[in-house]
Amino acid sequence: MVFNTLTFAGFFLCVLLVHSLPLPWTFRKVNLLLASYVFYSAWNPPFVVLLWISTVVDWYAAQGLVRSERPAARHAWMLLSVVANLGMLLYFKYGNFLLANLTAAVNAAGLDYHPPKMDIVLPVGISFYTFATMSYTLDVYLRRAEPARNFLDYALFVTFFPHLVAGPIMRPTELVPQFEKPRRATARMLAFGLGLMTLGLFNKVVLADTLLSGAVERVFDAKSAPGMLDAWVGTLAFSSQIFCDFAGYSTTAIGAAMCLGFAMPDNFRFPYAAVGFSDFWRRWHITLSSWLRDYLYIPLGGNRHGAARTYAALMTTMLLGGLWHGANWTFVAWGGLHGSYLAGERVLRKRFHGYRPSPWALVGLGLLTYLLVDVTWVFFRAKDFPRAWHMLTGMAGGNSAAKPLLETPFIVITAAVVLGLLTVHWAMRRRTLESVVARTPAVVLGGAWSLMLFLIVISQGTGNAFIYFQF
Amino acid sequence: MRSSTSNSERPNSERLTAADRPGEAQPVPERPVPDRPFGRILLAAAAIAAVLIGGWEWHWRSLGVAPDYRDDEALWAIQRRRIDQGEGDATVLIGASRTFFDVQLPVWEKIAGRRPIQLSLDGTSPLGIVEDLADDPRFTGRLLIGIAPDIFFTGFEFEDGRPRFTHQESPSQRVGKWLSMHTIEPAFAFYDGDFALFTVLRRQSWPDRPGRPRMLHVRRIQLVEADRNSYMWDRVETDAAYRDLVRRTWAQNFDPKPTDPKELAEIARTRDEQIDRMTRAIAKLRARGVFVVFVREMSAGDYLKFEKETFPREETWDALLAKTGAPGIFYADYPQLSNFDLPDWSHMSKSSAERYTAELVDLLRQKYPQAGSW
Repeated sequence: MVFNTLTFAGFFLCVLLVHSLPLPWTFRKVNLLLASYVFYSAWNPPFVVLLWISTVVDWYAAQGLVRSERPAARHAWMLLSVVANLGMLLYFKYGNFLLANLTAAVNAAGLDYHPPKMDIVLPVGISFYTFATMSYTLDVYLRRAEPARNFLDYALFVTFFPHLVAGPIMRPTELVPQFEKPRRATARMLAFGLGLMTLGLFNKVVLADTLLSGAVERVFDAKSAPGMLDAWVGTLAFSSQIFCDFAGYSTTAIGAAMCLGFAMPDNFRFPYAAVGFSDFWRRWHITLSSWLRDYLYIPLGGNRHGAARTYAALMTTMLLGGLWHGANWTFVAWGGLHGSYLAGERVLRKRFHGYRPSPWALVGLGLLTYLLVDVTWVFFRAKDFPRAWHMLTGMAGGNSAAKPLLETPFIVITAAVVLGLLTVHWAMRRRTLESVVARTPAVVLGGAWSLMLFLIVISQGTGNAFIYFQF
Repeated sequence: MRSSTSNSERPNSERLTAADRPGEAQPVPERPVPDRPFGRILLAAAAIAAVLIGGWEWHWRSLGVAPDYRDDEALWAIQRRRIDQGEGDATVLIGASRTFFDVQLPVWEKIAGRRPIQLSLDGTSPLGIVEDLADDPRFTGRLLIGIAPDIFFTGFEFEDGRPRFTHQESPSQRVGKWLSMHTIEPAFAFYDGDFALFTVLRRQSWPDRPGRPRMLHVRRIQLVEADRNSYMWDRVETDAAYRDLVRRTWAQNFDPKPTDPKELAEIARTRDEQIDRMTRAIAKLRARGVFVVFVREMSAGDYLKFEKETFPREETWDALLAKTGAPGIFYADYPQLSNFDLPDWSHMSKSSAERYTAELVDLLRQKYPQAGSW
């Protein structure tokens, strides 16, 4: 089920009504659990089985970890969880990709090998919920967390529909304690939660789908190479589209959880105001980047074993982080570029240790960060490397004979949205939405809210899936 | 729940996140609710939004727009599923917009006693749908295939993927369409792709970009009912400027026939490929007793002139019938099918479509009694 659909509106209303009834807390949690399974199976019912497998395996693995004293046994329980989750992920997400690459490698070695196509359907949200359940066993293994006291709380942590299919990727310590005591939103929480949902849907439906997607598709999916203006407009449009799409999802999810009385963590912190790439990754998809840091980068050694090991861990983490996004080498390139940026920044920080940029230098460095991040988005969006090179060549002014692709309105509207977004991000660089809302007159808040509602309605979104669903 | 400030926020209001807590168990997140009168704000926002939406609706209704059903992939899927749900022996109509506009289901039902299933698609070759039906053993009825030369023989597909959508439609999508058809679509005139925010913005008088003049895009010209019975919006008939706009939209594609031998060879290759694929699909259908008939609906004015020049009958229509072995009705061969009002040169007005449907059904019943009950 997708947030920006009538189906979700009807579903959410029903869930909210039942959750608000004066019923025992266990009954209301069962309502949330069943609703979450309905939410998931509304896309493709059979795949709910995978969700159950992931849930049950990690529940028993964590129980085994608690019972076991011997390190070898604990290690085995942890490995069971990791192998089961990564195995599912490997098969469903990377099965076709691995087979295609294996075939290419074998053929390159001179053997004529053509296996039948597997046609594996990617279960929506598998990358998100496998990471969430793995964090449960890993936290218990690392003795950072106690296992959940009962299966219902744990199953609800895995399945809770606001975060289930596209995050924020929750940790057990963030959510399981919230299920231990009865929770119901206050009237203010309900209203603010609805406000967050409106803001999230405005980002998705109006900005990402309505105002930006057309320019992105016309440039990235064109059969001809783009000129400089088109390549830059298409890339900048995508940089804003992916933010509005994904941050819109996260904001809607956070708002939905708040309407039910639960708190979910921030997933974005105005990332296009980042100065430097480590700052960017503290602001972009925070729950993924911190997951990769805690369960991959640090176990790989982090920065505790000298420069060479640090850079190797950094690059490995970013390459795998890239691959997490999709089974395509372009995503690996995207991760590799970010890894290189982070490594380069680390070198520069050591070289210019103690440097404090002036306000204008800060703006300049922020813009440089933004432009370099934009270059990485080319690999993220392009279907293959030839198209990515076409785009990069166009951005560098190398396609001088290219025919214009975009009509005037696409260029003007993209420019307006991108400039607006950058201004907002920069203005909010050291603020939170809540702190700004707290200081804004009620009349302005009401006006902005109504305008967002109106624009969502007249945009006539057709329930396009969120981009991150494919990951 | 805490109010706007908490000790988990930095002095400059930037809240701590997992990014600030490496290698730790992450605590229950803090989600402060700002201290504002949200109840009243929500009510005011809902009221203002309702007024704005009402004004938007009034604006479109003042231009003569009435609510209808959105002809999206889910609406098409509902009709397509009828074949799988016990109506496999029905008459199925496929083709491009001419079959969609010109055949009126209520008239057909009145004469033949049974309402056909309308699966035609605007601006889309019927070939993909024929192939889908050919692969579905549950379809055993009669198939009327409308042929618009510039669509079919070029393989043009504006709305491809409908059969695939039908087979993969999720429960959530089905419920969403049901809700939409029972709440929004019959109530709001503005709920139409032609009046969507970006379409309206794009239509404004932007200056042309050198080398990239703006094309006219197809405007709203039809109304669609719940079972995809469709007819021309009367504004195309009554508003001369609007009618001219629609004609100019079609005329953008009236390119002169190429003279370059390479281009001509490519056109011929595409045409032959479409005919070959159609031949294979029809062989499958006829093998299990499906009666197939092609129909070339009327066109007029500059559209007809373009079609005659670029898609001569002997190279296209005649070749199609010869290769497939299926019968066909070319409007020009039948005086009773050749004298109707086509305001935009391509589609019939509603009253003409009703008369045309009556003539067509009579003709089908007379010519092809072996097809059974039309």
